[in-house]
Amino acid sequence: MIMKCDKQITDLMHEYLDGHITKKDEQTLRSHLQTCPACQEHFHELKRAISLVKANSDLRPSSSFTSQVMNNLPKERKRIGVQR
Amino acid sequence: MMMETKIKEYIKLVKKGDQAAFEEIVLFYQSKVFAICFRMIGNRHEAEDIAQEAFIRAYVNIHSFDNKRKFSTWLYRIATNLTIDRIRKKKPDFYLDAQVQGTEGLDLYAQIPADQALPEEEVESIEIQSYIQQEIMNLPAKYRSVIALRFVDELSLIEISEILEIPVGTVKTRIHRGREALRKRLRHV
Repeated sequence: MIMKCDKQITDLMHEYLDGHITKKDEQTLRSHLQTCPACQEHFHELKRAISLVKANSDLRPSSSFTSQVMNNLPKERKRIGVQR
Repeated sequence: MMMETKIKEYIKLVKKGDQAAFEEIVLFYQSKVFAICFRMIGNRHEAEDIAQEAFIRAYVNIHSFDNKRKFSTWLYRIATNLTIDRIRKKKPDFYLDAQVQGTEGLDLYAQIPADQALPEEEVESIEIQSYIQQEIMNLPAKYRSVIALRFVDELSLIEISEILEIPVGTVKTRIHRGREALRKRLRHV
């Protein structure tokens, strides 16, 4: 039973998570999950992994990021004439 | 949508030679570009370096940007290409290093029960963040780029396919496999 529902149903889980699932497939997934604890667990783990990866609170560049980029840009075109 | 229109106005100014207008663009996109680079390369210092380089390249090549297109797609393509180049230049033993570091984390986090609810402070803790990143680094680079784009900016499969210049079907397969791999690796966090 688990072997059989594994591939088919996990494909639907991923389609659901991609935001590309038909109403009919979503219904199939929903009713399957209600009766299959193994797939329920699988689906829960997928959603949990995503939320862990998304919790990227410390992913910010340093406060000097923008000023460093601005300082390293080539000189403005209008100044080229006086540069050398 | 409002922001996208505003960005396009800034781009017009930059094209006319107004360098200050570019600052608004950097301020708006810096966190996203940095986060995408970081998810792919796994090192803050390098991510920051590459992200800065991406903005400089965008500035230098701004005339080749077609204002009818989405700016972020163009900018993220520059950033992901630079990151992929950097990864390729790294020594082949790079992945082995990442795995060795990852195992320390495993010992530590294997002690946390799987069913325990995760308080927000814990998710935000630097240790867990770095553990998650280690696990992402254990994935092949081509999976990391897709994962980074999908999870940092919630981009659609079509946008990701445009950024990485690979077919949508390939994006889909990599996201599915990447998600499964992360599910297995992060199950015990």
